Amino acid sequence: MQEFSPSTLLVLVPLLPLLGAILTVLLGRTLGAKAHLPAMAGIAGAAIVAIALLAATARDVGPAHGVHAEAVRPVEMISTLWQWASFDAAYTPPAGSPATDARLTPRELAAGQDVRSFSLPVALRLDPLTATMLTIITCVGLLVAIYSTGYMHGDPGYPRFFALVAMFVFSMSMLVAASNFLLVYVFWEAVGACSYLLIGFWFTKPEAARAAKKAFLVNRVGDFGLAIAVFLLWMTYGTLDFHDTISSDGVIMPGILGQTRLADAAGYVGGAVGTAICLLLLLAACGKSAQLPLHVWLPDAMEGPTPASALIHAATMVTAGIYLITRSAPLFAACPGALTVVSIVGATTALVAALIGTVQNDLKRVLAYSTISQLGYMFASLGTGTLLGFTAAIFHLLTHACFKALLFLGAGSVMHAMGGVIDMRRFGGLRRVMPITAATFLVGSAALAGVAPFAGFFSKDEILAALHAKGWPAAHGDHHATATAGGPFHLAAFSSDGGHAAVTAPAVGLDALDRPETWQILFWMSLVTAGLTAFYTFRAVFMTFTGPTRVPEGAHGHGGHGDHAGHGDHADHAGHAGHDSHGSHESYESPSAMTWPLMILAVPSALVGWLLFSTNWLAHFLSATPSLTATAVAATATPHVFHMNLAIQGTLAAAIGIVIAAIGHLGRRSDGPQLERFLGPLQTLFANKFYFDQIYSALIVRPLEALALVAALFDRHVIDGTVDAIAGIPVALGSLVRRSQSGLLQRYALAGVMGVLAIVVLLAWQLRG
Amino acid sequence: MNPTQSLPLLQNALTVGAILFSLGLVGILTRRNLIVMFLAAEMMLQGISVSLVAWSRYHGDWGGHVLVIFVLTVAACEAAVALVFVLQAFSRTGRLDAAAWQSLREANVARTVDHELPSIDTVPLRFPTLTPAGVLPPDDENEPLQREHV
Repeated sequence: MQEFSPSTLLVLVPLLPLLGAILTVLLGRTLGAKAHLPAMAGIAGAAIVAIALLAATARDVGPAHGVHAEAVRPVEMISTLWQWASFDAAYTPPAGSPATDARLTPRELAAGQDVRSFSLPVALRLDPLTATMLTIITCVGLLVAIYSTGYMHGDPGYPRFFALVAMFVFSMSMLVAASNFLLVYVFWEAVGACSYLLIGFWFTKPEAARAAKKAFLVNRVGDFGLAIAVFLLWMTYGTLDFHDTISSDGVIMPGILGQTRLADAAGYVGGAVGTAICLLLLLAACGKSAQLPLHVWLPDAMEGPTPASALIHAATMVTAGIYLITRSAPLFAACPGALTVVSIVGATTALVAALIGTVQNDLKRVLAYSTISQLGYMFASLGTGTLLGFTAAIFHLLTHACFKALLFLGAGSVMHAMGGVIDMRRFGGLRRVMPITAATFLVGSAALAGVAPFAGFFSKDEILAALHAKGWPAAHGDHHATATAGGPFHLAAFSSDGGHAAVTAPAVGLDALDRPETWQILFWMSLVTAGLTAFYTFRAVFMTFTGPTRVPEGAHGHGGHGDHAGHGDHADHAGHAGHDSHGSHESYESPSAMTWPLMILAVPSALVGWLLFSTNWLAHFLSATPSLTATAVAATATPHVFHMNLAIQGTLAAAIGIVIAAIGHLGRRSDGPQLERFLGPLQTLFANKFYFDQIYSALIVRPLEALALVAALFDRHVIDGTVDAIAGIPVALGSLVRRSQSGLLQRYALAGVMGVLAIVVLLAWQLRG
Repeated sequence: MNPTQSLPLLQNALTVGAILFSLGLVGILTRRNLIVMFLAAEMMLQGISVSLVAWSRYHGDWGGHVLVIFVLTVAACEAAVALVFVLQAFSRTGRLDAAAWQSLREANVARTVDHELPSIDTVPLRFPTLTPAGVLPPDDENEPLQREHV
């Protein structure tokens, strides 16, 4: 049927949440406690449409035939809604710059002119990657919205919350569906704005306002990188479109990630410019996905409502960086040095965040550092630049979205029941009073820790396999050697100012990193991280759900829901920890609106890994994404096998972590002094989060504040002083004649008469002369 | 030469106009009663009108006449508006003295106080009387009070 064509459906995915957001804004006050309805209807509709699109795309890709790598036909569909901007002759490069194929569109070459036009179509695309992302976003969004009806019940900002969530789903689905780098940038900013508004949702709380500001400012650094990258892309490729466009005179203009360029082995610029673009894209991804050194905003972002943390700061928005790099895979494939940097950043972040996570006492902060760590895993996987690496990253993204959303919602359920207390030292043994939350949280933790049949095990195994293949290429056949050598992908680089720069030193310097030894180190780092992940996850589980049942004083049993005033005041209760009630067997379980999403999410957290791994469905599906059919990426395709030795290593690491956590925390007072004694000074280092905040404060914040103080003093005293002095002149003049303002009509009349007389006399004097 | 365009006629008329104008000017500068000030302003207007008519007549041009008609019309309207203002001013202060409104002066300027109060003629006014006829109207005890306000 024409009206249900994929392009119509594709538009509906962002459109329905947008309509929901607008309706919630307009009708929020009228609907009151039912304000979630329009937003939820919009997100639910988008989820249904997204699943339908996923099915349609999967039908186009076709089924996987066995475990062997096969050539896959790229599947994409472009739906151009309208032309946002169009300029002919937008830029004329300075004379003498080399006219390379990459810089000019064929039409311009044909016309023999070195003039570039600029056009910005609002085009949405549908390909396996977009379909996967859309499904994750809308489905997690729907479950979080359902959960929020219970969690946010009675909050004065109830309609505002749902409007923001719907707005976020709109922005995020536009971000992954946009087929143009500039549109990606626009919605990159839009999700950042939604994130800012949701972190600062309880804006009367100073910590929340500060955290929102911090998230926004740190993200600006990354967004700056994306902006420069977009400029460089346009200067380099002459277009910002992902897809090929056909001009009115029938000439195909290759898009950056279009099929024409993908089929051309020399279509991508390497060298200094290519590396610069990739590193700037990586900077952008680091900002949004909270990677070192821009990770500092994510733990603080936990000041926002827990459902927002689950949706934005665990499952979806923070994966925008993964999406961006996967989408730009051909660009990265041309720059092996940049790819290695991606992996180094990712693995380092994973390790550092996991180390910090081991000593956190705030349940949500443990999960926040875990998110950073898992995103680091995905970056490490992306950095391998192999097909397996990219698909493993998206696989892990999918499983992580399920189990991390589950864990966050579970943490929210605990927080809800404990009257806003989230410090794990103040409650314990909750499995008796919150059985559903405890069971689902355990499933999520097993998935996160990589326990064998659960989702995280398979995706983590794939990532380790991707890293292992780069570290020990001989063990995996020689597929990767050609890709890592990078020979065919080094084009003559040119500098943007038109000079004839050859491949320059930085690229060589970075490319030198791409050697097996580096990847071996990264592999071991990832394996250690896997063990740490299991440790901190089960430490949190044991501290929260096992041991004698303890609940903090402010907690309320059944019947007392909706009291959210306590969310902000952990500190107020901190001093009364000694009065915590013991052994209460009253039920603290959250309402069904909150437990149902937990149970629904527990199913994919347990099963999705095994299902997708055993059928190899996701990897096959994703390999039809145009970006991943690029010659440099597709050439690295490997047979789909289960690496038993890696699985054993991963499971061993997880088991060691769980055993240590059990020794330290199972069944006792869960304060963890044993751990502190064991770690010694390292504990201080971890607890202070490697002093990142302090370093930034000393290096950036304080100098800027000093500069701002100087500027403020200059403004207040020099500039304002000058203005005030000038403003004083009319006042002084006015005070001279002010006495004549007597309020007596006769005096005014006399003054008028005298004035007229003076004029008459003057005229007479002139006429006489 | 047309007798109406003679120079002496112009001079006489201009003299009358100038006298009217000057009287009005002196009146507006010296009197504090709002109504009298208003009358003085009208007198200045009429002085100008006389001059206009004189010049117009001297030059044999009707423009000045037309302008005077306009001036009369506008003056009538202005009189209506001005009297409303005067009435309002009176109802607010109970006085017709322009100095009653000197509170509109600048904040830090001292109030102007009359040091020599004008002497008030205490001789009772005598109004002309008519031969009584018809029925004697009933006495109104408020009548003297009203008289004093005028």
